Amino acid sequence: MSTVTHVGEESTRAKAVTLPDMGGKSSGRAIKDQAARIVMWSAFVIACVPLVWILVSTLLKGGHMLASVDWWTLSQNGITARREGGGAAHAIQGTLIQGAVTALMSVPIGVLTAIYLVEYGRGRFAKAVSFMVDILTGVPSIVAALFIYALWVTTFGFQRVPFAVTLALVLLMIPTIVRSTEEMLKLVPNELREASYALGVPKWKTIVSIVLPTAFSGIVTGVLLGLARVMGETAPLIILGPYTKSMASNLFDGLMGTLPTMINQDRTEALQPAVDRVWGAALTLILIVFVLNLLGRFLGRFSKVS
Amino acid sequence: MKTTRLAQLASLAVVGSMALAACGSDNTTGSTSAEGSSSSASASESAATECFSGTLNAEGSSAQKNAIEEAIASYGEACKDAKLNYNPTGSGAGIKQFIAGQVDFAGSDSALKTEGKDGAQSEAVAAEAFCGSPAWNLPMVTGPIAIAFNVKGVDKLTITPAVAADIFSGKITTWNDAKIAEINKGVTLPATAIKVFFRSDESGTTENFTKYLKAAAPEGWTADASKKWTGAGEGKEKSAGVAEGVKSTDGGVTYVEWSYAKDNKLGIASVDNGAGAVELTGESVGKAVAVAEQAGTGNDLALKLDYATKEAGAYPIILVTYEIVCSKNKDAEKGKNIKAFLKHFASTDVQKGLEEIGYAPLPKEVEDKVLTAIDALS
Repeated sequence: MSTVTHVGEESTRAKAVTLPDMGGKSSGRAIKDQAARIVMWSAFVIACVPLVWILVSTLLKGGHMLASVDWWTLSQNGITARREGGGAAHAIQGTLIQGAVTALMSVPIGVLTAIYLVEYGRGRFAKAVSFMVDILTGVPSIVAALFIYALWVTTFGFQRVPFAVTLALVLLMIPTIVRSTEEMLKLVPNELREASYALGVPKWKTIVSIVLPTAFSGIVTGVLLGLARVMGETAPLIILGPYTKSMASNLFDGLMGTLPTMINQDRTEALQPAVDRVWGAALTLILIVFVLNLLGRFLGRFSKVS
Repeated sequence: MKTTRLAQLASLAVVGSMALAACGSDNTTGSTSAEGSSSSASASESAATECFSGTLNAEGSSAQKNAIEEAIASYGEACKDAKLNYNPTGSGAGIKQFIAGQVDFAGSDSALKTEGKDGAQSEAVAAEAFCGSPAWNLPMVTGPIAIAFNVKGVDKLTITPAVAADIFSGKITTWNDAKIAEINKGVTLPATAIKVFFRSDESGTTENFTKYLKAAAPEGWTADASKKWTGAGEGKEKSAGVAEGVKSTDGGVTYVEWSYAKDNKLGIASVDNGAGAVELTGESVGKAVAVAEQAGTGNDLALKLDYATKEAGAYPIILVTYEIVCSKNKDAEKGKNIKAFLKHFASTDVQKGLEEIGYAPLPKEVEDKVLTAIDALS
């Protein structure tokens, strides 16, 4: 008996006394701790190398292009790889328009799907929907592009127009939105819903005026991150959206230039004006995606659930 | 809660309005630097240019990208309402999109194939089926391939197909080899080692150059022509890479488009196919195009190049790129527009301007034939 108490006493005392300077006493753990720290930090640095490299080299090689007003206000109409001048306004506009239209189509579908899955979906059908979203997440962009090409051009016999590009992008954006929205809705505490029900508010109204507003900024963050992702997509653009050097805003007729296709157009060129433009376009695209990401993170901070 | 929601909505609206606010301008003429604008641009104000307002889309060969861009730019200067797009996706892709009705005309390094593979429909038949009329191949741009070298103290060099085959397959290893000396009497050749540079990427230039070697020196070059290099040497990425390699290496030699050899100020070898050394000039290239046999009938001007030609004064290592068009377009308006642009492209002014950027102008007799064919388009 006494031994047991003794051991018990000792262990209590040991806990109380040694816990604060545990690192000092057991050097084996300290070494492991240091080793893990070094491995983690070097992994972090290694992961940062390509990122910093890309940012620095695009900044150095394309930075001067973005400094001119022309870059933001003029198109490449009438400019060849040999000539300097012109801007990327047509491509920036094309990328933003296609991104906006893609978001316009995929946000309602994505958010409504997520609401169904979280609030209503039970049983087999919900499982099937969730499974389909998983599959859609794994579809490579080139497959989405070829699917739309087969549908739009081969089956319906339409021309390749910017709208077809946005259809392919919608396929890529919906699963991202469904998943992020789902997570956000799940984070809304059940007590809020229950409190609402207790006051006699119907389910639909609870969702519209309690659940959605609570998760709103989280949903917006997810949408912006998804948007940033599809704006950099290249495969659907190369297959469905041929490049044009002039300004275009019609989604249903003609071609529309975008930043990825602008890069693709001149990427094999060795002539300096074209090389500069390719770097400039790459930097512009990085900037747009970067701003969207920042905006997403910024709005995420206002989130009431996290 | 209400206010933050408003703020959030507002920021969304900001993103949305970015799309709308980015209204730019197509008017680039005022701000372009004059440097680099070719003579074709200034010549384009001639009264001959017929304008149209509308859009034409073309796609295909990347070999003619710079040439057609120049033609589009000068056409655009004369005709403000005309919008032309050319996407350099490759000859094969261009023909496919043309047959699928996605583009108005295609650019291609080779004429439409008249024989289908494995019983499939041939390109020519498929194109005719789409057009509802025969599709024509119109030779428009000629791109010569230079044998570019960098040997200290040597600025003139003649090469025969047999010697070229030996150099590029690694059988001849020094510049003062007896075989080279024999055809370059009066030139002091150093004992520098020969350093061959080739395109490490798959390339139409490699294909055409090996086609030439195979046709003109069948004993020395036994490998089949292909887009991938099968000879000796060190691989470099793209034309810029091989040109840079030769430029920085004493004893370097490569095959590369004329413009790259000129831009990098490399030595360009004359080629002796058996009728004397021929220097690479717009004229000598034109001659090779002029003596090429017409493989198509009537206004279909598909050419059959003879790489082994012994015609005096003809530079044999060339690549001809075509515009592939419907002879009768279903949409008459489109036909008229294509006609107007191609007429501009084939005109003497534009063709002359191409020489500056490393292409050879069409020789007069071919240009006349092309213009006749364009006149017959509808």
